[in-house]
Amino acid sequence: MYELLDVQAIFTNMPKILSRLPVTLGVTFGAMLVSTAIGLTIALIKVYKVPVIRHMAGFYVSFIRGTPLLVQLYLVYYGVPRFFDYLYRAHGWFGQINFNLIPPVAFAVGAFAVNLGAYLSETIRSAIETVDRGQFEAGISIGLTRGQLMRKVILPQALLGILPNYGNTLISTVKDTSLIFMISVVDIMGQSQIIGARTLKFFEVYISVSIIYWLTCILLARILSELEKRARVYERKLVE
Amino acid sequence: MIRLSALNKYFDQHHVLRDVSLEVEKGQVMAVLGPSGSGKSTLLRCVNFLEKPSSGRIEIGSLSVEVDKADNKAVMALRAATAMVFQQYNLFKNMTALQNVMVGLTTVKKMPTSEAKGKSLRLLEKVGLGDRMDYYPSRLSGGQQQRVSIARALALNPEVILFDEPTSSLDPELVGEVLAAIKQVAKEGNTMIIVTHELHFAREVADTVVFLDKGLIVEQGDARQIFHEPKEERTRRFLDRALRPFVYQI
Repeated sequence: MYELLDVQAIFTNMPKILSRLPVTLGVTFGAMLVSTAIGLTIALIKVYKVPVIRHMAGFYVSFIRGTPLLVQLYLVYYGVPRFFDYLYRAHGWFGQINFNLIPPVAFAVGAFAVNLGAYLSETIRSAIETVDRGQFEAGISIGLTRGQLMRKVILPQALLGILPNYGNTLISTVKDTSLIFMISVVDIMGQSQIIGARTLKFFEVYISVSIIYWLTCILLARILSELEKRARVYERKLVE
Repeated sequence: MIRLSALNKYFDQHHVLRDVSLEVEKGQVMAVLGPSGSGKSTLLRCVNFLEKPSSGRIEIGSLSVEVDKADNKAVMALRAATAMVFQQYNLFKNMTALQNVMVGLTTVKKMPTSEAKGKSLRLLEKVGLGDRMDYYPSRLSGGQQQRVSIARALALNPEVILFDEPTSSLDPELVGEVLAAIKQVAKEGNTMIIVTHELHFAREVADTVVFLDKGLIVEQGDARQIFHEPKEERTRRFLDRALRPFVYQI
C-alpha cells in the first residue's frame, strides 16, 4: 500500500525540532530588541531633522528596504569579518579579531537587527508624527525638555500607532528567521532539514515545522493584542 | 511685571506683529482684543517662544531677553516664567487629570511626588474637579478639560499666565464654568494676558485692554476707558459691532 505520508513521523520528530525553538525565538527577540533601539534613534533623527546624519539615515533605510533579507544576511556574515580584517591589515585598527570564535548566531541577530531597524524607524517616525501638534506645544509651554517631552508625553501616545505594526513585524520576523540556516545557524528550520535529510521524510518534518511556526505566531499574536488593549486604557471606550 | 518692547514677527514676507510694545503690572489682567487674523494669538505665542519672534525684547520680572539673541537657556527661562492655557486645552492624553497637573512639578521643578500630589489635588479642587482626578481627558467634558488645564498652568506658579482664546472651542453652556474659574484665578492676584472674543467677560475681568488690528496696536489703556470711550474710530467700530445685540434682518 502506498501512503501519502507517515502521520506518526510528524509527531515523533517534533520534540527534536522543538529543541531548536529557543534559537528561533532567541534570534527573533534579540533582533527585535536591538532593532528597537536602532529604529527609535533613526526615527528621532528624522523627527528632529538632525543635519547630515539625517541623510545618512535615509540612505540606510533606502538600502535595507531595497535589497533582499537573504542578501543582507550574507553581506553581514561574509562582509563584516572581511571588513575588520581589512581595517586591521591596512590600518592596524581594532586588533586581529578571530571571527571563527564568534558564533554564526551573533551574525544572524546582527543582520536581522539592522534589517528590522530600518523598517521600525519608519513605523516609529510616522507614529510620532501623528501625535497631535498641541501635545508638543503643551509640553514645551510647561518647560519640559525635548527628552522629557518625548519620554513622558509623545512616545506613550505614539505607542498606540507603533504597536500594531510592531506586532506584524515581530510575527514576520519569526518566520523570516527560517533563513538563518543559510549561514549555518541551526534553528527549527535547519533542524527540520537535517532530520529530513537523515530520514528522507521531508514532507513530514516540514509539516511538523509548519505547525510549530503557526502555533508560535498564534501565541505571539494573542500576547500582542493583550498589550495593545493595555496601551489603550486612556482612550475613550466605544462600548461601555 | 511683564513688558514687551518693539516686538516684531514675520511669517516669511508677512509682517504679523508690528512693533508691539505693552506692559502688564504684577497682579493685573490684560485683555487682548481684535478681529480674526490681527495677530493676537501670535503675540501670545511669541511670549513663550512657541513662535520665535523676529525682533524685540521680552521682560518678565527680572528676566530680560533680547529675542534675536535668545539662546536655549533664555528660552527655557521664559517658558519657566510663563504658563499657557490653549484654545484646544491640549491636556496630555496619556495622563489622568491629576498627572496632567503634577507632571510639571515633578519633572520640571523636581518636587517630591507626595508634595506635588498634594499641591495638584488642591489646585484641582480649586477648579472644582477634585473628584475627577483619576479621569483621563477623553472622559472629561471640554469645560472640565479646560479647568484642568488652568490648574496645570497654576501649578507652576508662573509670573504670568497666557490664555489663548480659552473658551472659543467650548459649547456655549460650558463657557460659564471656565470663565468663572479664570475670574477666580484673576481675583487671587495672578498676572494674566487673555486673548478672547468674550467681550463681556473681558470687560468684567480686565484691568487693561490692548486692541490689535493687522499686527498693530491701535489702542491700549485702562479697560474701563477703552470699553466706554474708545479714542480710536477703529476700536469703536469693533466694539460696537461685537457688543451690539444680534439683529436679524429678513
